[in-house]
Amino acid sequence: MDSFWGNIFRQKDEEAEGIRNILKKIPIFEGLRRKELAAVERILYRREYKAGEIVLNQGDPAAGMYIIEKGKVQVVFEPTQQVIAELYDGDFFGELALMDESPRSATVVARLDCKMLGFFQSDLLDLIERNPRLGVKIVMRLLSVIGERLKKSNDQVQALQIKLYNMKQRRKTPAGDE
Amino acid sequence: MEATIRRWVKSLIIFAVLLGLLYFLIAIGDLVKLMIISAILAYVLDPLVTMIEANGLNRTPATAILFSVMTLFFALIMILLLPVISSEIVSISRSIDPEKAQAAFAQLESFLAGFTAFLGVPDLNLTTTLVDMVVQYGNDIFGNLLSVVSLFTNLVLIPFIAFFLLKDGRTIKKYLVSLVPNRYFELTCNLLYKMDIQLGNYIRGQVIDASIIGLLSILALSLLQVQNAILIGTVAGIANVIPYIGPICGAVIAIVLSLLETGDMGLVLYIAIAFIIVQLLDNVVVQPTVVAKNVNLPPLLVLLVVIIGGKFFGILGMLLSVPLTAVLKVFLVEGYTTYKQYNFS
Repeated sequence: MDSFWGNIFRQKDEEAEGIRNILKKIPIFEGLRRKELAAVERILYRREYKAGEIVLNQGDPAAGMYIIEKGKVQVVFEPTQQVIAELYDGDFFGELALMDESPRSATVVARLDCKMLGFFQSDLLDLIERNPRLGVKIVMRLLSVIGERLKKSNDQVQALQIKLYNMKQRRKTPAGDE
Repeated sequence: MEATIRRWVKSLIIFAVLLGLLYFLIAIGDLVKLMIISAILAYVLDPLVTMIEANGLNRTPATAILFSVMTLFFALIMILLLPVISSEIVSISRSIDPEKAQAAFAQLESFLAGFTAFLGVPDLNLTTTLVDMVVQYGNDIFGNLLSVVSLFTNLVLIPFIAFFLLKDGRTIKKYLVSLVPNRYFELTCNLLYKMDIQLGNYIRGQVIDASIIGLLSILALSLLQVQNAILIGTVAGIANVIPYIGPICGAVIAIVLSLLETGDMGLVLYIAIAFIIVQLLDNVVVQPTVVAKNVNLPPLLVLLVVIIGGKFFGILGMLLSVPLTAVLKVFLVEGYTTYKQYNFS
């Protein structure tokens, strides 16, 4: 009997430890202490998706972010069905939803059987109330991740603007002048 | 055609299951009442536990500390107030003098007859109806009130259940969400969050409102030197949970009791004015500040659910019917609004 309960608890502990190891590598939870990671682990939702199953739909209200524990997903832009990104074990998506509830900007489909961890805005807000120190740490990391993405997007926009400008200049210049 | 039949069968099954569930809930009425009161208590105390948690404690010790403090606080209140209230109950039943009461109601009837004459109501029969009712059933009302609450068992059970709801509420929620299919997972989380905020605000608001109205009523009645001010004020505060009907009930109880005891018609007017002032304060100052406005219920619905609640679960059913209807309203309105935002095609 002891070994039965012992097995169950050991399994739970191992699972929790595994999740904490994944969390450590996510930039949003970088630098958190073991106890803090355990607090985050407790509020995560563990979900399993079959290959081909839709994880979230473009246009649906955003509620939180997902971390891929195991598997592969594709991020698809609906109108063109263009695959924007493919994400694997340890990757995460939907982190903007932790800041606001604006609709999802793309659809995410599981391409392999997936195990995911859902981290929701409501739970983050609750965590901020219960443990402000940890909440602020996560929010600061989240801001820095979003800030980095914004910088990257700005760089891309600038590069595209330069490209566009050059194209316009080339059009203006008559072919004979070259 | 086949799809339509399937949909009909599905709807019928859902309806039958809901009906069965309702029947089951009515059958285990006492347990349901206990769970509802415990859930309300847990909702009211949740922000306090969260506040203690914010100081670095885990959920379990935070809940334990709060319950220890609450137990001490209530023990103190019981020691101080219970003798006062029980002596007030005894004094009410002793001080009812049928002759004095009869004279007072005859006076009230002739006063009201002036207003009702033009409506073609010749005889209100107030005296016979009210005095008989109050004298015969007066003791029973308080007896019922106490037996409904089943004081000793419930005083232990309610905090016990509330303790576990507070301590393990998140785990229970997480477990329930884990049962939801992936498709409706985000919707459920979103819905639970929105409902939690609205219900929390509503229930906490109602409890604060009832406490303030109770205290104001006690103060007003004490100033008017009404006997049993604490008991009547407490009843008025609790009755205030039922919108539209509750405040009137509170005032009527106060007036009837003071009439039975003193037979003084002048006091009736002052008590009525005091209750009107308390209600004005409630509507203008207290409610706009503490009660969530978005859970407003239409008067007719309130009347209906109070009657239904009273029919099935007695006085406690009347008190709980309104918050329960509010819960149902929030669930339906938020459920529908949130569902519409999702693409389930």
